[in-house]
Amino acid sequence: MRIALAIARKELSLFFTTPWAYGVFTAMVALSSFFFVNLLATFQQVQEQAREVTWAMMPPDMTAYRNLTDGVMVQLWGMVIIITLFIAPFLSMRLFAEEKRNKTFELLMTAPVRPIEIVLGKYLGGLGIISATLGLTLIFPLVLSAFGHADSGTALEWPTVLLGYGGILLWGATCMAVGMFISALTESQMLAAFLTFAVLLPWMLLSGVAQATEEPLRSVLTYLSFDAQLQNMLKGILDVQTLVFFASVIVFSLLLTHRTVEARRWA
Amino acid sequence: MAMIEVQHLTKRYRDRVAIDDLTFSVEEGEILGFLGPNGAGKSTTMKILTGFLPPSEGVARVGGFDVFTHPLEVKRRIGYLPEAPPLYPDMTVHGYLKFVAALKRLPARELKGEVERVAGLTGVTHVLGRLIQNLSKGYKQRVGIAQALLGSPQVLILDEPTEGLDPAQRAEVRALIKSLAGKHTVILSTHILPEVTMTCEKVLILNQGRIVAYDDLRKLAGSQGTSESASLEEVFIKLTAA
Ligand SMILES: Nc1ncnc2c1ncn2[C@@H]1O[C@H](COP(=O)(O)OP(=O)(O)OP(=O)(O)O)[C@@H](O)[C@H]1O
Ligand SMILES: [Mg+2]
Repeated sequence: MRIALAIARKELSLFFTTPWAYGVFTAMVALSSFFFVNLLATFQQVQEQAREVTWAMMPPDMTAYRNLTDGVMVQLWGMVIIITLFIAPFLSMRLFAEEKRNKTFELLMTAPVRPIEIVLGKYLGGLGIISATLGLTLIFPLVLSAFGHADSGTALEWPTVLLGYGGILLWGATCMAVGMFISALTESQMLAAFLTFAVLLPWMLLSGVAQATEEPLRSVLTYLSFDAQLQNMLKGILDVQTLVFFASVIVFSLLLTHRTVEARRWA
Repeated sequence: MAMIEVQHLTKRYRDRVAIDDLTFSVEEGEILGFLGPNGAGKSTTMKILTGFLPPSEGVARVGGFDVFTHPLEVKRRIGYLPEAPPLYPDMTVHGYLKFVAALKRLPARELKGEVERVAGLTGVTHVLGRLIQNLSKGYKQRVGIAQALLGSPQVLILDEPTEGLDPAQRAEVRALIKSLAGKHTVILSTHILPEVTMTCEKVLILNQGRIVAYDDLRKLAGSQGTSESASLEEVFIKLTAA
Protein backbone atom coordinates (compact mmCIF):
# COMPACT_ATOMS: atom_id res chain seq x y z
CA MET A 1 0.00 0.00 0.00
CA ARG A 2 2.93 2.30 0.68
CA ILE A 3 3.99 1.94 -2.94
CA ALA A 4 0.48 2.69 -4.19
CA LEU A 5 0.44 5.85 -2.08
CA ALA A 6 3.85 6.90 -3.40
CA ILE A 7 2.59 6.49 -6.95
CA ALA A 8 -0.62 8.38 -6.16
CA ARG A 9 1.36 11.21 -4.57
CA LYS A 10 3.62 11.41 -7.61
CA GLU A 11 0.60 11.48 -9.90
CA LEU A 12 -0.96 14.35 -7.96
CA SER A 13 2.15 16.45 -7.60
CA LEU A 14 2.98 16.06 -11.30
CA PHE A 15 -0.57 17.07 -12.17
CA PHE A 16 -0.38 20.24 -10.13
CA THR A 17 2.96 21.27 -11.64
CA THR A 18 1.57 21.26 -15.17
CA PRO A 19 -0.27 24.23 -16.71
CA TRP A 20 -2.68 21.58 -17.96
CA ALA A 21 -4.18 21.32 -14.47
CA TYR A 22 -5.03 24.99 -14.35
CA GLY A 23 -6.48 24.86 -17.85
CA VAL A 24 -8.82 22.11 -16.73
CA PHE A 25 -9.75 23.97 -13.54
CA THR A 26 -10.50 27.08 -15.53
CA ALA A 27 -12.65 25.18 -17.98
CA MET A 28 -14.55 23.54 -15.12
CA VAL A 29 -15.20 26.81 -13.30
CA ALA A 30 -15.99 28.79 -16.45
CA LEU A 31 -18.46 26.27 -17.84
CA SER A 32 -20.24 25.60 -14.57
CA SER A 33 -20.41 29.34 -13.76
CA PHE A 34 -21.98 29.94 -17.13
CA PHE A 35 -24.72 27.42 -16.42
CA PHE A 36 -25.07 28.64 -12.84
CA VAL A 37 -25.69 32.21 -13.92
CA ASN A 38 -28.16 31.09 -16.57
CA LEU A 39 -30.03 28.89 -14.12
CA LEU A 40 -30.20 31.73 -11.64
CA ALA A 41 -31.63 34.07 -14.26
CA THR A 42 -34.29 31.56 -15.24
CA PHE A 43 -35.04 30.92 -11.60
CA GLN A 44 -35.54 34.59 -10.95
CA GLN A 45 -37.81 35.02 -13.97
CA VAL A 46 -40.03 32.14 -12.97
CA GLN A 47 -40.20 33.36 -9.39
CA GLU A 48 -41.25 36.84 -10.51
CA GLN A 49 -43.84 35.44 -12.86
CA ALA A 50 -45.21 33.25 -10.09
CA ARG A 51 -45.44 36.21 -7.76
CA GLU A 52 -47.78 37.89 -10.24
CA VAL A 53 -50.04 34.94 -11.00
CA THR A 54 -49.49 32.78 -7.86
CA TRP A 55 -47.92 29.31 -7.95
CA ALA A 56 -51.30 27.60 -8.34
CA MET A 57 -51.64 29.10 -11.82
CA MET A 58 -48.13 28.13 -12.97
CA PRO A 59 -47.65 25.20 -15.36
CA PRO A 60 -46.86 22.02 -13.39
CA ASP A 61 -43.35 21.60 -14.84
CA MET A 62 -42.40 24.92 -13.26
CA THR A 63 -42.95 23.76 -9.70
CA ALA A 64 -39.28 22.81 -9.46
CA TYR A 65 -38.58 26.53 -9.42
CA ARG A 66 -40.32 26.97 -6.06
CA ASN A 67 -37.06 26.46 -4.20
CA LEU A 68 -33.37 26.94 -4.84
CA THR A 69 -32.49 23.29 -4.36
CA ASP A 70 -34.71 21.93 -7.12
CA GLY A 71 -34.73 25.08 -9.19
CA VAL A 72 -30.99 25.68 -9.31
CA MET A 73 -28.77 23.13 -7.61
CA VAL A 74 -30.27 19.89 -8.92
CA GLN A 75 -30.16 21.29 -12.42
CA LEU A 76 -26.67 22.66 -11.99
CA TRP A 77 -25.44 19.25 -10.84
CA GLY A 78 -27.01 17.80 -13.96
CA MET A 79 -24.89 20.17 -16.03
CA VAL A 80 -21.76 19.40 -14.02
CA ILE A 81 -22.23 15.75 -14.92
CA ILE A 82 -22.21 16.65 -18.61
CA ILE A 83 -19.15 18.88 -18.15
CA THR A 84 -17.40 16.04 -16.33
CA LEU A 85 -18.13 13.76 -19.25
CA PHE A 86 -16.17 16.15 -21.45
CA ILE A 87 -13.37 16.96 -19.02
CA ALA A 88 -12.60 13.64 -17.31
CA PRO A 89 -11.18 11.96 -20.45
CA PHE A 90 -8.55 14.71 -20.55
CA LEU A 91 -7.62 13.95 -16.95
CA SER A 92 -7.49 10.18 -17.24
CA MET A 93 -5.65 10.06 -20.57
CA ARG A 94 -2.26 10.75 -19.00
CA LEU A 95 -2.38 8.01 -16.38
CA PHE A 96 -0.71 5.23 -18.37
CA ALA A 97 -0.28 6.58 -21.90
CA GLU A 98 2.19 9.21 -20.77
CA GLU A 99 4.33 6.72 -18.86
CA LYS A 100 4.55 4.61 -21.98
CA ARG A 101 5.40 7.52 -24.23
CA ASN A 102 7.96 8.79 -21.70
CA LYS A 103 9.52 5.34 -21.30
CA THR A 104 8.97 5.66 -17.55
CA PHE A 105 6.61 2.70 -17.78
CA GLU A 106 9.81 0.64 -17.97
CA LEU A 107 10.82 2.07 -14.59
CA LEU A 108 7.52 1.09 -12.98
CA MET A 109 7.54 -2.35 -14.55
CA THR A 110 11.11 -3.19 -13.55
CA ALA A 111 10.84 -1.89 -9.97
CA PRO A 112 9.92 -4.44 -7.29
CA VAL A 113 6.29 -3.41 -7.53
CA ARG A 114 3.20 -5.54 -8.13
CA PRO A 115 0.93 -4.60 -11.03
CA ILE A 116 -1.94 -4.20 -8.56
CA GLU A 117 0.06 -1.58 -6.66
CA ILE A 118 0.66 0.36 -9.86
CA VAL A 119 -3.02 0.21 -10.81
CA LEU A 120 -4.25 1.22 -7.36
CA GLY A 121 -1.68 4.00 -7.07
CA LYS A 122 -2.61 5.37 -10.46
CA TYR A 123 -6.29 5.18 -9.66
CA LEU A 124 -5.92 6.87 -6.29
CA GLY A 125 -3.97 9.64 -8.00
CA GLY A 126 -6.72 9.89 -10.61
CA LEU A 127 -9.34 10.13 -7.87
CA GLY A 128 -7.40 12.95 -6.23
CA ILE A 129 -7.22 14.81 -9.54
CA ILE A 130 -10.91 14.48 -10.36
CA SER A 131 -11.93 15.35 -6.78
CA ALA A 132 -9.84 18.51 -6.88
CA THR A 133 -11.47 19.47 -10.17
CA LEU A 134 -15.00 18.71 -9.01
CA GLY A 135 -14.38 20.24 -5.59
CA LEU A 136 -14.36 23.64 -7.26
CA THR A 137 -18.08 23.35 -7.98
CA LEU A 138 -18.89 23.25 -4.25
CA ILE A 139 -18.54 26.99 -4.40
CA PHE A 140 -21.97 27.27 -6.05
CA PRO A 141 -24.13 25.86 -3.23
CA LEU A 142 -22.04 27.89 -0.78
CA VAL A 143 -22.73 31.08 -2.73
CA LEU A 144 -26.41 30.19 -2.94
CA SER A 145 -26.81 29.50 0.73
CA ALA A 146 -25.06 32.76 1.56
CA PHE A 147 -26.83 35.07 -0.86
CA GLY A 148 -29.74 33.28 -2.47
CA HIS A 149 -33.36 33.70 -1.52
CA ALA A 150 -36.63 32.39 -2.90
CA ASP A 151 -40.31 32.56 -2.02
CA SER A 152 -40.08 29.25 -0.24
CA GLY A 153 -37.27 30.51 1.97
CA THR A 154 -33.56 30.95 1.66
CA ALA A 155 -32.39 27.62 2.95
CA LEU A 156 -30.84 25.04 0.66
CA GLU A 157 -31.78 21.46 1.32
CA TRP A 158 -28.25 20.42 2.09
CA PRO A 159 -28.91 16.66 2.22
CA THR A 160 -30.22 16.77 -1.34
CA VAL A 161 -27.41 19.02 -2.53
CA LEU A 162 -24.73 16.86 -0.95
CA LEU A 163 -26.22 13.61 -2.16
CA GLY A 164 -26.24 15.09 -5.63
CA TYR A 165 -22.62 16.08 -5.17
CA GLY A 166 -21.88 12.52 -4.04
CA GLY A 167 -23.45 11.37 -7.29
CA ILE A 168 -21.13 13.69 -9.20
CA LEU A 169 -18.08 12.33 -7.39
CA LEU A 170 -19.22 8.79 -8.10
CA TRP A 171 -19.63 9.70 -11.74
CA GLY A 172 -16.19 11.33 -11.82
CA ALA A 173 -14.66 8.24 -10.19
CA THR A 174 -16.34 6.08 -12.82
CA CYS A 175 -15.08 8.22 -15.69
CA MET A 176 -11.55 8.03 -14.29
CA ALA A 177 -11.70 4.24 -13.93
CA VAL A 178 -12.91 3.72 -17.49
CA GLY A 179 -10.45 6.34 -18.76
CA MET A 180 -7.54 4.73 -16.91
CA PHE A 181 -8.23 1.38 -18.53
CA ILE A 182 -8.31 2.94 -21.98
CA SER A 183 -5.15 4.91 -21.19
CA ALA A 184 -3.41 1.62 -20.38
CA LEU A 185 -4.16 0.37 -23.89
CA THR A 186 -2.31 3.04 -25.85
CA GLU A 187 0.75 5.26 -25.96
CA SER A 188 -1.21 8.18 -27.35
CA GLN A 189 -2.87 10.44 -24.82
CA MET A 190 -5.11 12.04 -27.43
CA LEU A 191 -6.32 8.67 -28.62
CA ALA A 192 -6.96 7.64 -25.02
CA ALA A 193 -9.03 10.78 -24.38
CA PHE A 194 -10.99 10.35 -27.57
CA LEU A 195 -11.73 6.66 -26.99
CA THR A 196 -12.76 7.31 -23.39
CA PHE A 197 -15.22 9.92 -24.57
CA ALA A 198 -16.42 7.59 -27.31
CA VAL A 199 -17.17 4.93 -24.68
CA LEU A 200 -18.71 7.20 -22.03
CA LEU A 201 -20.99 9.26 -24.22
CA PRO A 202 -23.10 6.45 -25.74
CA TRP A 203 -23.19 4.80 -22.31
CA MET A 204 -24.53 8.03 -20.92
CA LEU A 205 -27.19 8.21 -23.61
CA LEU A 206 -28.33 4.65 -23.08
CA SER A 207 -31.45 5.75 -21.21
CA GLY A 208 -32.65 7.57 -24.32
CA VAL A 209 -32.18 4.43 -26.38
CA ALA A 210 -33.98 2.48 -23.67
CA GLN A 211 -37.14 4.55 -24.18
CA ALA A 212 -37.36 3.30 -27.75
CA THR A 213 -37.19 -0.39 -26.82
CA GLU A 214 -39.64 -2.93 -25.37
CA GLU A 215 -39.57 -4.55 -21.96
CA PRO A 216 -37.61 -6.37 -20.62
CA LEU A 217 -34.73 -4.85 -22.62
CA ARG A 218 -35.94 -1.46 -21.56
CA SER A 219 -35.40 -2.03 -17.84
CA VAL A 220 -32.02 -3.61 -18.46
CA LEU A 221 -30.83 -0.70 -20.57
CA THR A 222 -32.19 1.80 -18.09
CA TYR A 223 -30.37 0.07 -15.26
CA LEU A 224 -27.13 0.11 -17.26
CA SER A 225 -27.46 3.78 -18.18
CA PHE A 226 -25.30 6.26 -16.29
CA ASP A 227 -27.86 8.95 -16.83
CA ALA A 228 -30.82 7.08 -15.34
CA GLN A 229 -28.75 5.96 -12.36
CA LEU A 230 -27.51 9.47 -11.68
CA GLN A 231 -30.86 11.21 -12.00
CA ASN A 232 -32.15 9.46 -8.89
CA MET A 233 -29.19 10.52 -6.83
CA LEU A 234 -29.45 14.10 -8.03
CA LYS A 235 -33.06 14.22 -6.89
CA GLY A 236 -31.96 13.12 -3.45
CA ILE A 237 -32.89 9.46 -3.67
CA LEU A 238 -30.12 7.14 -2.56
CA ASP A 239 -30.57 3.70 -3.99
CA VAL A 240 -28.28 0.80 -3.10
CA GLN A 241 -28.73 -0.37 -6.67
CA THR A 242 -27.05 2.79 -7.91
CA LEU A 243 -24.08 2.33 -5.61
CA VAL A 244 -23.74 -1.29 -6.66
CA PHE A 245 -23.91 -0.28 -10.29
CA PHE A 246 -21.15 2.34 -10.11
CA ALA A 247 -18.98 0.24 -7.83
CA SER A 248 -19.19 -2.64 -10.32
CA VAL A 249 -18.21 -0.44 -13.25
CA ILE A 250 -15.24 0.90 -11.28
CA VAL A 251 -14.05 -2.48 -10.01
CA PHE A 252 -14.46 -4.03 -13.42
CA SER A 253 -12.40 -1.24 -15.02
CA LEU A 254 -9.67 -1.66 -12.41
CA LEU A 255 -9.56 -5.41 -13.05
CA LEU A 256 -9.29 -4.82 -16.79
CA THR A 257 -6.49 -2.32 -16.22
CA HIS A 258 -4.71 -4.82 -14.01
CA ARG A 259 -5.00 -7.48 -16.67
CA THR A 260 -3.63 -5.09 -19.27
CA VAL A 261 -0.61 -4.19 -17.14
CA GLU A 262 -0.08 -7.81 -16.13
CA ALA A 263 -0.48 -8.99 -19.72
CA ARG A 264 2.89 -7.49 -20.60
CA ARG A 265 4.43 -10.41 -18.81
CA TRP A 266 2.73 -12.80 -21.19
CA ALA A 267 3.01 -10.83 -24.37
CA MET B 1 26.04 -20.71 -8.59
CA ALA B 2 26.23 -17.87 -11.08
CA MET B 3 24.42 -14.65 -10.24
CA ILE B 4 22.90 -14.39 -13.69
CA GLU B 5 22.12 -17.47 -15.71
CA VAL B 6 20.67 -17.39 -19.19
CA GLN B 7 19.77 -20.58 -21.02
CA HIS B 8 18.56 -20.88 -24.60
CA LEU B 9 16.93 -17.48 -24.41
CA THR B 10 14.98 -16.52 -27.51
CA LYS B 11 12.78 -13.51 -28.15
CA ARG B 12 10.59 -13.01 -31.17
CA TYR B 13 8.68 -9.82 -31.93
CA ARG B 14 5.93 -11.30 -34.07
CA ASP B 15 7.98 -13.07 -36.73
CA ARG B 16 11.21 -11.09 -36.24
CA VAL B 17 13.78 -12.94 -34.14
CA ALA B 18 15.48 -10.36 -31.91
CA ILE B 19 17.63 -12.78 -29.93
CA ASP B 20 18.21 -16.39 -30.81
CA ASP B 21 19.12 -19.13 -28.33
CA LEU B 22 21.44 -17.17 -26.03
CA THR B 23 23.23 -19.07 -23.28
CA PHE B 24 25.64 -17.36 -20.91
CA SER B 25 26.19 -16.70 -17.23
CA VAL B 26 27.71 -14.00 -15.08
CA GLU B 27 29.43 -14.82 -11.79
CA GLU B 28 28.89 -12.75 -8.70
CA GLY B 29 31.01 -9.60 -8.75
CA GLU B 30 31.84 -9.91 -12.42
CA ILE B 31 31.42 -7.20 -15.07
CA LEU B 32 30.20 -8.45 -18.43
CA GLY B 33 30.30 -6.21 -21.49
CA PHE B 34 27.64 -6.56 -24.18
CA LEU B 35 28.89 -5.57 -27.58
CA GLY B 36 27.22 -5.66 -30.94
CA PRO B 37 26.10 -3.53 -33.84
CA ASN B 38 22.77 -1.68 -33.79
CA GLY B 39 19.85 -4.07 -33.62
CA ALA B 40 21.97 -6.99 -32.39
CA GLY B 41 19.64 -7.66 -29.48
CA LYS B 42 21.52 -6.13 -26.54
CA SER B 43 18.62 -4.06 -25.21
CA THR B 44 16.16 -6.88 -25.79
CA THR B 45 18.26 -9.25 -23.66
CA MET B 46 18.44 -6.66 -20.89
CA LYS B 47 14.70 -6.05 -21.00
CA ILE B 48 14.11 -9.75 -20.48
CA LEU B 49 16.60 -9.97 -17.61
CA THR B 50 14.88 -7.09 -15.83
CA GLY B 51 11.44 -8.61 -16.26
CA PHE B 52 10.15 -5.90 -18.58
CA LEU B 53 9.65 -8.29 -21.47
CA PRO B 54 8.79 -11.97 -21.31
CA PRO B 55 11.05 -14.34 -23.26
CA SER B 56 9.59 -16.35 -26.12
CA GLU B 57 11.66 -19.37 -25.12
CA GLY B 58 14.34 -20.27 -22.64
CA VAL B 59 14.96 -19.21 -19.07
CA ALA B 60 16.78 -16.40 -17.34
CA ARG B 61 17.63 -16.54 -13.64
CA VAL B 62 18.93 -13.80 -11.39
CA GLY B 63 20.18 -14.76 -7.95
CA GLY B 64 18.69 -18.20 -8.57
CA PHE B 65 15.18 -16.87 -9.24
CA ASP B 66 13.45 -17.34 -12.56
CA VAL B 67 12.74 -13.92 -14.04
CA PHE B 68 9.38 -15.02 -15.35
CA THR B 69 7.99 -16.96 -12.40
CA HIS B 70 9.48 -14.85 -9.58
CA PRO B 71 9.57 -11.34 -11.03
CA LEU B 72 9.45 -9.56 -7.68
CA GLU B 73 12.42 -11.46 -6.23
CA VAL B 74 14.42 -10.66 -9.34
CA LYS B 75 13.42 -7.01 -9.52
CA ARG B 76 14.40 -6.50 -5.89
CA ARG B 77 17.97 -7.49 -6.81
CA ILE B 78 18.35 -5.41 -9.96
CA GLY B 79 19.19 -1.79 -10.65
CA TYR B 80 18.38 -1.02 -14.27
CA LEU B 81 19.28 1.80 -16.58
CA PRO B 82 17.18 1.39 -19.74
CA GLU B 83 18.34 2.58 -23.14
CA ALA B 84 16.28 5.76 -22.72
CA PRO B 85 16.66 6.99 -19.13
CA PRO B 86 13.17 6.72 -17.59
CA LEU B 87 12.79 10.27 -16.27
CA TYR B 88 9.82 12.51 -15.46
CA PRO B 89 10.67 15.89 -17.05
CA ASP B 90 8.44 17.83 -14.64
CA MET B 91 10.09 16.47 -11.49
CA THR B 92 13.13 17.77 -9.73
CA VAL B 93 16.11 15.43 -9.56
CA HIS B 94 15.61 15.12 -5.82
CA GLY B 95 11.89 14.42 -6.10
CA TYR B 96 12.57 11.86 -8.79
CA LEU B 97 15.23 9.98 -6.83
CA LYS B 98 13.00 9.95 -3.77
CA PHE B 99 10.16 8.53 -5.82
CA VAL B 100 12.33 5.76 -7.27
CA ALA B 101 13.68 4.99 -3.79
CA ALA B 102 10.10 4.57 -2.60
CA LEU B 103 9.35 2.29 -5.55
CA LYS B 104 12.35 0.20 -4.52
CA ARG B 105 10.84 -0.06 -1.05
CA LEU B 106 13.74 1.60 0.76
CA PRO B 107 12.77 2.33 4.37
CA ALA B 108 11.70 5.95 4.84
CA ARG B 109 14.48 6.77 7.27
CA GLU B 110 17.23 5.61 4.86
CA LEU B 111 15.76 7.52 1.97
CA LYS B 112 17.49 10.85 2.43
CA GLY B 113 20.94 9.39 3.01
CA GLU B 114 20.61 7.02 0.09
CA VAL B 115 19.55 9.76 -2.33
CA GLU B 116 22.55 11.82 -1.23
CA ARG B 117 24.87 8.85 -1.60
CA VAL B 118 23.93 8.04 -5.21
CA ALA B 119 23.83 11.73 -6.11
CA GLY B 120 27.40 12.02 -4.83
CA LEU B 121 28.53 8.93 -6.75
CA THR B 122 27.13 10.21 -10.04
CA GLY B 123 28.02 13.86 -9.49
CA VAL B 124 24.49 15.28 -9.54
CA THR B 125 24.47 16.71 -6.01
CA HIS B 126 24.53 20.31 -7.24
CA VAL B 127 21.55 19.81 -9.57
CA LEU B 128 19.31 17.99 -7.07
CA GLY B 129 16.91 20.94 -6.90
CA ARG B 130 16.57 21.44 -10.64
CA LEU B 131 13.80 20.25 -12.93
CA ILE B 132 14.88 17.25 -14.97
CA GLN B 133 13.62 18.81 -18.21
CA ASN B 134 16.16 21.62 -17.82
CA LEU B 135 19.17 19.31 -17.47
CA SER B 136 21.61 18.64 -20.28
CA LYS B 137 21.59 15.22 -21.92
CA GLY B 138 24.66 14.10 -19.99
CA TYR B 139 23.14 15.07 -16.66
CA LYS B 140 19.90 13.29 -17.52
CA GLN B 141 21.99 10.21 -18.19
CA ARG B 142 23.71 10.60 -14.81
CA VAL B 143 20.36 10.85 -13.06
CA GLY B 144 19.39 7.65 -14.86
CA ILE B 145 22.50 5.95 -13.49
CA ALA B 146 21.90 7.37 -10.00
CA GLN B 147 18.41 5.90 -10.07
CA ALA B 148 19.81 2.45 -10.92
CA LEU B 149 22.27 2.61 -8.02
CA LEU B 150 19.61 3.43 -5.41
CA GLY B 151 19.46 0.75 -2.76
CA SER B 152 22.79 -0.81 -3.83
CA PRO B 153 21.20 -3.66 -5.79
CA GLN B 154 23.30 -6.82 -6.15
CA VAL B 155 22.94 -6.73 -9.92
CA LEU B 156 23.26 -3.71 -12.20
CA ILE B 157 22.04 -3.80 -15.76
CA LEU B 158 23.18 -0.72 -17.62
CA ASP B 159 22.15 -0.16 -21.23
CA GLU B 160 24.72 2.16 -22.77
CA PRO B 161 25.49 4.00 -19.52
CA THR B 162 28.01 6.39 -21.08
CA GLU B 163 25.74 7.41 -23.95
CA GLY B 164 25.53 11.18 -24.26
CA LEU B 165 28.36 11.95 -21.85
CA ASP B 166 31.39 14.06 -22.68
CA PRO B 167 34.83 12.39 -22.55
CA ALA B 168 35.57 13.54 -19.01
CA GLN B 169 32.20 12.39 -17.69
CA ARG B 170 32.62 9.17 -19.60
CA ALA B 171 35.87 8.46 -17.82
CA GLU B 172 34.22 9.23 -14.50
CA VAL B 173 31.30 6.88 -15.12
CA ARG B 174 33.70 4.20 -16.31
CA ALA B 175 35.71 4.55 -13.12
CA LEU B 176 32.50 4.42 -11.12
CA ILE B 177 31.41 1.20 -12.82
CA LYS B 178 34.83 -0.30 -12.34
CA SER B 179 34.68 0.52 -8.64
CA LEU B 180 31.44 -1.44 -8.42
CA ALA B 181 33.14 -4.67 -9.48
CA GLY B 182 33.37 -7.22 -6.72
CA LYS B 183 30.43 -5.82 -4.76
CA HIS B 184 27.99 -5.80 -7.67
CA THR B 185 27.42 -8.00 -10.65
CA VAL B 186 27.22 -5.80 -13.72
CA ILE B 187 26.10 -6.18 -17.30
CA LEU B 188 26.70 -3.15 -19.45
CA SER B 189 26.21 -2.59 -23.15
CA THR B 190 28.15 -0.16 -25.24
CA HIS B 191 29.23 0.69 -28.76
CA ILE B 192 32.56 1.98 -27.56
CA LEU B 193 35.13 -0.77 -27.78
CA PRO B 194 37.86 0.75 -25.59
CA GLU B 195 35.24 1.10 -22.89
CA VAL B 196 34.89 -2.66 -22.71
CA THR B 197 38.61 -3.09 -22.50
CA MET B 198 38.77 -0.62 -19.66
CA THR B 199 35.88 -1.82 -17.53
CA CYS B 200 34.98 -5.41 -18.26
CA GLU B 201 36.56 -8.75 -17.52
CA LYS B 202 34.38 -10.65 -19.90
CA VAL B 203 32.78 -9.72 -23.15
CA LEU B 204 29.86 -11.08 -25.12
CA ILE B 205 29.53 -10.04 -28.73
CA LEU B 206 26.10 -10.30 -30.29
CA ASN B 207 25.29 -10.12 -33.95
CA GLN B 208 21.78 -10.42 -35.35
CA GLY B 209 20.57 -11.96 -32.15
CA ARG B 210 23.26 -14.61 -31.86
CA ILE B 211 26.36 -14.90 -29.72
CA VAL B 212 29.40 -14.64 -31.97
CA ALA B 213 31.98 -14.38 -29.20
CA TYR B 214 31.81 -14.92 -25.48
CA ASP B 215 35.03 -15.09 -23.56
CA ASP B 216 37.50 -13.45 -21.24
CA LEU B 217 38.61 -10.18 -22.72
CA ARG B 218 42.24 -11.21 -22.53
CA LYS B 219 41.72 -14.44 -24.44
CA LEU B 220 39.57 -12.71 -27.05
CA ALA B 221 41.81 -9.75 -27.69
CA GLY B 222 45.22 -10.64 -26.38
CA SER B 223 46.43 -13.03 -29.06
CA GLN B 224 47.30 -10.65 -31.87
CA GLY B 225 47.58 -6.91 -32.49
CA THR B 226 49.52 -4.23 -30.72
CA SER B 227 47.07 -2.81 -28.18
CA GLU B 228 44.11 -4.51 -26.59
CA SER B 229 41.47 -2.13 -27.84
CA ALA B 230 42.75 -2.17 -31.40
CA SER B 231 42.66 -5.92 -31.55
CA LEU B 232 39.24 -6.05 -29.96
CA GLU B 233 38.10 -3.79 -32.74
CA GLU B 234 39.50 -6.20 -35.29
CA VAL B 235 37.79 -9.11 -33.60
CA PHE B 236 34.53 -7.16 -33.44
CA ILE B 237 34.57 -6.19 -37.09
CA LYS B 238 35.54 -9.67 -38.21
CA LEU B 239 32.84 -11.35 -36.14
CA THR B 240 30.00 -8.99 -36.90
CA ALA B 241 30.63 -8.61 -40.64
CA ALA B 242 27.36 -9.74 -42.16
N1 LIG C 1 9.13 -3.53 -29.74
C1 LIG C 1 9.70 -4.11 -30.82
N2 LIG C 1 8.94 -4.61 -31.81
C2 LIG C 1 9.49 -5.20 -32.89
N3 LIG C 1 10.82 -5.36 -33.06
C3 LIG C 1 11.64 -4.89 -32.10
C4 LIG C 1 11.12 -4.25 -30.93
N4 LIG C 1 12.18 -3.89 -30.15
C5 LIG C 1 13.28 -4.30 -30.80
N5 LIG C 1 12.98 -4.91 -31.98
C6 LIG C 1 13.92 -5.50 -32.93
O1 LIG C 1 14.72 -6.44 -32.24
C7 LIG C 1 16.06 -6.38 -32.70
C8 LIG C 1 16.99 -6.15 -31.52
O2 LIG C 1 16.79 -4.84 -31.01
P1 LIG C 1 17.58 -4.26 -29.73
O3 LIG C 1 16.96 -2.98 -29.39
O4 LIG C 1 17.61 -5.32 -28.70
O5 LIG C 1 19.03 -4.04 -30.32
P2 LIG C 1 20.28 -3.34 -29.64
O6 LIG C 1 21.39 -4.34 -29.73
O7 LIG C 1 19.95 -2.82 -28.32
O8 LIG C 1 20.57 -2.16 -30.66
P3 LIG C 1 21.19 -0.70 -30.38
O9 LIG C 1 22.66 -0.87 -30.34
O10 LIG C 1 20.77 0.08 -31.59
O11 LIG C 1 20.62 -0.19 -29.12
C9 LIG C 1 16.11 -5.29 -33.74
O12 LIG C 1 16.05 -5.90 -35.02
C10 LIG C 1 14.87 -4.48 -33.50
O13 LIG C 1 14.39 -3.93 -34.69
MG1 LIG D 1 19.97 -0.98 -27.49
